[in-house]
Amino acid sequence: MSEKDHKDHLRMTTAPAFAELVTASHFSFLRGTSHPADLIARAIELGLAGIGIADRNTVAGVVRAWSALRDAREKAAEVGTAVTLPRFVVGARLVFVDGTPDIVAYPQDRAAWGRLTRLLTTGNLRAEKGDCILRLEDLLAFQAGLQLIVLPHSSAKPQRERRNPVEHHSAAPVPPLTLVQPEGLAPLLVRLARLAPGRVWLGAVMPRRGPDARRLAEMATLAAQAGVPLLATNDVLYASAEQRPLHDIVSCIREGVTIAQAGTRLEVNGERHLKAPEEMARLFRDQPQAIAETMHFLDGISFDLKQLAYEYPHEPVPEGWAPQAWLEQLVLEAAHARYGAVLPKDVRKRLDEEFALIVRQNYACYFLTVHDLVRFARAQDPPILCQGRGSAANSIVCFLLGVTSVDPSEHDLLFSRFVSEERNEPPDIDVDFEHERREEVMQYVYRRYGRHRAAIAATVIHYRPRSAVREVGKALGLSEDVTARIVSTVWGSFSREMPEKRFAEAGSDPGAPAVRRLIDLVDQLLAAPFPRHLSQHVGGFILTQDRLDETVPLHNAAMAERTFAEWDKDDIDALGIMKVDVLALGMLSCIRRAFALLAEHGHGAHTLEVDLAADDPAVYAMLEEGDSIGVFQVESRAQMNMLPRLKPKNLYDLTVQVAIVRPGPIEGDMVHPYLRRRWGEEPADYPSPAPPHDPDELCNLLGRTYGVPIFQEQAMKLAITAAGFTPSEANRLRRAMATFRNHGGIDKFREKLVGGMTARGYTEEFALRCFRQIEGFGSYGFPESHALSFARLVYISAWIKCHHPAVFACALLNAQPMGFYAPAQIVRDAREHDVEVRPIDINHSAWDCTLEPRADGALALRLGLRQIDGFRQEWTRALVMAREEGAFASIEALARRADLPTRALRLLADADGFGSLGLSRREALWEVRRTPAGELPLFAAVRARELGEEPAAHLPTMPMGEEVAADYQAVRLSLKDHPMTFVRPALVREGVLTCAQTSAARSSTRVSTGGVVLVRQRPGKGNAIFITIEDETGITNVLLWARLFERYRRAVMASRLMVVTGQVQRSREGVVHLMASHVVDRTELLGLLSEEPPQPPLCPPNEVARPVQHRHPRDVCILPGSRDFH
Amino acid sequence: MRLTACDAAARTLGLVPGMTLTDAQARVPELAVADADPAADQQWLERIADACDRFTPLVEAEPPDGLILDMTGGLHLFGGETALIAQVEARMRRWASHVHLAMAATPEGARALARFQTVPVADEAAALRRLPVAALELEADALRDLRRAGLKTIADLADRPAAPLAARFGAALIDRLDRLLGRSDSRIVPRRTAPALVLERRFAEPIATVEAAMAVIGDLAREAAQVLAERHRGGRRFVARLYRTDGHVIELAVESGLPLRDPPRIARLFAEGVGALADPIDPGFGFDMIRLAVPRDEPLAAAQLALEGGEAREEAVAALIDRLSARVGRERVRRFVPRDSHIPEQAALALPAIDLATPASWPAPEPGEPPLRPIRLFDPPQLVEVIAGLPDGPPQRFRWRRILHEVARAEGPERIGGQWWRRAPGDPGLARDYYRVEDVRGRRFWLFRHGLYGEGARDPRWYVHGLFA
Repeated sequence: MSEKDHKDHLRMTTAPAFAELVTASHFSFLRGTSHPADLIARAIELGLAGIGIADRNTVAGVVRAWSALRDAREKAAEVGTAVTLPRFVVGARLVFVDGTPDIVAYPQDRAAWGRLTRLLTTGNLRAEKGDCILRLEDLLAFQAGLQLIVLPHSSAKPQRERRNPVEHHSAAPVPPLTLVQPEGLAPLLVRLARLAPGRVWLGAVMPRRGPDARRLAEMATLAAQAGVPLLATNDVLYASAEQRPLHDIVSCIREGVTIAQAGTRLEVNGERHLKAPEEMARLFRDQPQAIAETMHFLDGISFDLKQLAYEYPHEPVPEGWAPQAWLEQLVLEAAHARYGAVLPKDVRKRLDEEFALIVRQNYACYFLTVHDLVRFARAQDPPILCQGRGSAANSIVCFLLGVTSVDPSEHDLLFSRFVSEERNEPPDIDVDFEHERREEVMQYVYRRYGRHRAAIAATVIHYRPRSAVREVGKALGLSEDVTARIVSTVWGSFSREMPEKRFAEAGSDPGAPAVRRLIDLVDQLLAAPFPRHLSQHVGGFILTQDRLDETVPLHNAAMAERTFAEWDKDDIDALGIMKVDVLALGMLSCIRRAFALLAEHGHGAHTLEVDLAADDPAVYAMLEEGDSIGVFQVESRAQMNMLPRLKPKNLYDLTVQVAIVRPGPIEGDMVHPYLRRRWGEEPADYPSPAPPHDPDELCNLLGRTYGVPIFQEQAMKLAITAAGFTPSEANRLRRAMATFRNHGGIDKFREKLVGGMTARGYTEEFALRCFRQIEGFGSYGFPESHALSFARLVYISAWIKCHHPAVFACALLNAQPMGFYAPAQIVRDAREHDVEVRPIDINHSAWDCTLEPRADGALALRLGLRQIDGFRQEWTRALVMAREEGAFASIEALARRADLPTRALRLLADADGFGSLGLSRREALWEVRRTPAGELPLFAAVRARELGEEPAAHLPTMPMGEEVAADYQAVRLSLKDHPMTFVRPALVREGVLTCAQTSAARSSTRVSTGGVVLVRQRPGKGNAIFITIEDETGITNVLLWARLFERYRRAVMASRLMVVTGQVQRSREGVVHLMASHVVDRTELLGLLSEEPPQPPLCPPNEVARPVQHRHPRDVCILPGSRDFH
Repeated sequence: MRLTACDAAARTLGLVPGMTLTDAQARVPELAVADADPAADQQWLERIADACDRFTPLVEAEPPDGLILDMTGGLHLFGGETALIAQVEARMRRWASHVHLAMAATPEGARALARFQTVPVADEAAALRRLPVAALELEADALRDLRRAGLKTIADLADRPAAPLAARFGAALIDRLDRLLGRSDSRIVPRRTAPALVLERRFAEPIATVEAAMAVIGDLAREAAQVLAERHRGGRRFVARLYRTDGHVIELAVESGLPLRDPPRIARLFAEGVGALADPIDPGFGFDMIRLAVPRDEPLAAAQLALEGGEAREEAVAALIDRLSARVGRERVRRFVPRDSHIPEQAALALPAIDLATPASWPAPEPGEPPLRPIRLFDPPQLVEVIAGLPDGPPQRFRWRRILHEVARAEGPERIGGQWWRRAPGDPGLARDYYRVEDVRGRRFWLFRHGLYGEGARDPRWYVHGLFA
């Protein structure tokens, strides 16, 4: 027996069994410090007999602990070692606002769990977001079946009560009438013991505060007098002793103080970690029964999270029908309508297969619930466009229910990729709705199922490198300019690690103790990863047949009228609870607007028809040119560069196009092989294993993509087929993949995957690429069916753009903010497609942009008042209403009839909106400044109120350059000219080319070109900086290597007008880049637009135009300055 | 965070005040940044204003960076305009790196020229007319609308009829325009520098002894007390200046912790101050003027003695502190204030007593609980030899100053963690385990072990850190 084994053996035999029952994870926000999984791991290491996680008024972290223990069990079973794992129990530490000491509550059974979650829900809904307001009487009302550990002190903080509580069907049991506040610990114990006999314990701690022994004796006496047992605990805040510094820092963040000021707000010592049973026994040697009591406590609890049996709502099923029969009825009806009285064999087979699985897994209600949502959306007037995305498109049932729009039998999609028995996980149907009208669907859900049965899932907001550096730096007392400098070098907020290089880059010597300490702590904070708070998921709904608040506590969301459940989608997955994603898609709003415009102007009725022909060669010809501004998914620069190379010819090509410009295939280096094979430059060859394995095992899988894995499930399937993963391993890989940005630790799979593939005879190079691809997918991989659903929208939006450019631009402008481009680019693109764009005018413009028929039958685009920065919709309503009586003849008439405030009039004048009155911007402004606002009620009768006649002002006329600058300031675009026109003469003298000249230049020529900066990007690994500049002739894409960037940093970051010198590089497909070797900031040239100082002629370059909600940060657009990294 | 000011080098790099710090650092990573200190800026401006007293008593400070001097009728003293400007410039060079100077018939005109003129023009009226409309310092949107209307210089406005302008931009614009162009009269508001109260006594016949001078100070203190009482104020600082006939001035200053106007106490403080001087005052040929000033005063209600006399006692302590501080120096009379720290020796701070108007409040001990901290703390703690149980048993006996103490009773440990943030990264610092012990003869000690067994220190040392009463 080795020494270690011997010690372990000794511990097993001599240490008394002990369970730690008062443990806070870092879901006790800013109070606990350890990840629930780390607590479990430490408990296993120490040989605890049990561990209970009880966070502060929440159960948000328990599923993670539960999953960690499950993984440990699975792993132990696989390895075959006999490890005794601790028992895990879940509860919550109840912190009261009325001075009652903290009480830790553990449910004995499923029913008691429901009472605990309802208790927490009650407290949550009373409070502002993030708080929970509980009083002792709340606990008394819900105490049945809860085992209670009363702690000696309260850790409450003042909280704010919510002003307008959300209406919630609570029907709480009536609390007992006598509400006399208990005077101290002793009366409270007596009272609780009477109410919950045998379920009350007094928790005793040995915190090393000096008089511990004396206190313990007092507690023992107290417990004995009240007739409740004493229970030993360490009131744990972190897993192991080394975490004290992190806990101190987190406390500082919570209290908003620096570590030097924190003083007694910190814990006096580092004792509140998990302790080994023998150490606990030593500490409690005076009261050994307190240790033994922890085991009695465990004995009383039979509840386990896996008992959270779950049932989908029955609402959508009509009276007298069984869910399955009703589902089949609906589906078959639709099937016959589509395929005729006799179903094709293939369809019949698919249906049978899917029905059988749905019966076995009891999913019928789930499908019906989603169907119900979709039906609601389509039944509205006008209907809300919607379309399913994700792997649900693999299911013919989803298709026939109208949830998805892709016929899986036509595209040969496999149901098993959506749901499979062996994976034994719930299906996940995501449906996109028009982003402007999704709220209607969400409120319908709440209405139909009630707030006690429906809630949005939570999203855990974690510390990101930026926030971690900022807050830890502040707590350490580093001055803000030091942390700001470190933060300023973090590009984007998606990188998980905070490499030391970043600190060095920031000029802070990593060797300096303060910075060293900062790095250490930030590392720990990011490694955990540390949650900041709970927020609502973008649209994932959990719905139940029974009360949802008896399964999980609910919270108020920051958004009015929303409530969310405190478990996130991983937790829900782990417990096997199903959710439906009600997502918002801007493009659907845009398409709906376009359809409405087409109908209005006599171009026929269109719908998101399921059998899209998708075969119009004109559309593909347009896309092949890279002419895709505004088109769904393929409008980004990378996509635009890919279009001429991939040359899509049909819907499936678009599917590949959508999926291939993603981190997965790019990281996995799959793009070039695919393109080479597509164009026949190399044979499509299927990687095959060495004998005795089936050499064609990948043919089926990779057949349609020339042997190159492009889609997410291809890569996953590779792991199972080619690397010999077991379903359970693949399951873990998938889990790790989906969350690895949060958890790291995907590395152990690399060995497994690469090892497995090479063992079967694949080349190591191919295996490594596959792994990199899986890694790159992270959360952003596209499965084939999902890409196919999106490809349909690509085609539809491209079709509209191709055939009705005015309609497309109009719909796109009205659906802003969305997509990659700002109004200025959309308008410019429309004009390049021969659309007449008319300026904003008080006698013609509505809120939205509109279409006006021209004499030649074409449509002209009239800009709407929404384009004016700061103009309000209600002013527009008043204006339009007043206009119905007739056009406005003067500014005064407009002010009087529409009752507009001065500010509105000024904005209109600034936007040069009085053209139809024959007033220039300057004249209009001069007039507006003296026009009194609206109409005073006193003068209502005196309609003839008029301003006195004035001598003519004779203002100088506004130079054109100034007009353009003013246009940009008011509406962020100008129809009059491009700002660069006015700078051109100066640039021509210097020999600077236009963008068009640059695009036409021979490859490898050295040129200088200039333009206003549209976008600055530093994608991916940050080796290169991409800059897009624009002038009156077009755009130029500039590429600057990172090492040069450091030299030209100031010019790159500060320029609004930039002159770049470099080499022209033209790809085979004709895509031109300028490889920059020299960058100059020529912003001062913009001063030429008017004689006055150029402060600021355009918006400052780094101003965010409008914050865009629920969107990938990469898609946020900033204009007309530029869109930047920092 | 935004930039509030930039030096010339930063401006050439394109940085301007108002820019966010992040933005500026993204452009110039090596940018040196210092926190803005408006108070120091104000002080700096005040000092320059003080220095300008030599040109004219009428100086107006325009924070953060402007001064206006009213030179009406004083030009000849400096040899005319040009000579004056040269003198002012020469003096200002010592204080500031950049100075914009202008002279005009009105304060507004001078101000506008100094701040907005870009090209020098000899003729004042022409120069004013060429200024941009920004010189009127209107609100941003009015300014923008003026420019949008094509009215860009003062001349553009000056030549227009006033009524249409007033209808659009308000009477304020016309008013400012008139002041700027000298069409209407305006004055500056000179800053006030006088102390709250100055009293002086002149003597036809110089008084020759220090005692007599002190008596005069006492008289002046009585007068001051009367004025202060009328104003319901008390002085925190009193300055006496003794002007010797030969031009030498002797300055005596005393301070008080509480606002004060009791004449005998003021006089006594001066007497203490004089007594504590290293060199006795030399009256020379006597003093011909004595001045008492109260530069710093605070509200003080009429005194009312409490029935039990409690208030008086507090005042008596304050008076004692004032006297002791005046005699031995303010730094040497100190009082303890509590500090928020777990570390015992950092939990109290000794500050000059005169700065603490009222004694600090200390947390009340828990009733029935023996004191956890000793009355006397050793600095530094004293090393002792201890025999104690492992790993964290209390001391059984210890030797301190060569005397062996047998422990009869003990309580602990009270574990106080090290301050890891003051140490090298990775070194958490040693925790201390404190024990309250009583030896067989009833003496109580506060001992601690520096470091825990099995953590860092192999053989932790023991110290006695304090004694209980």
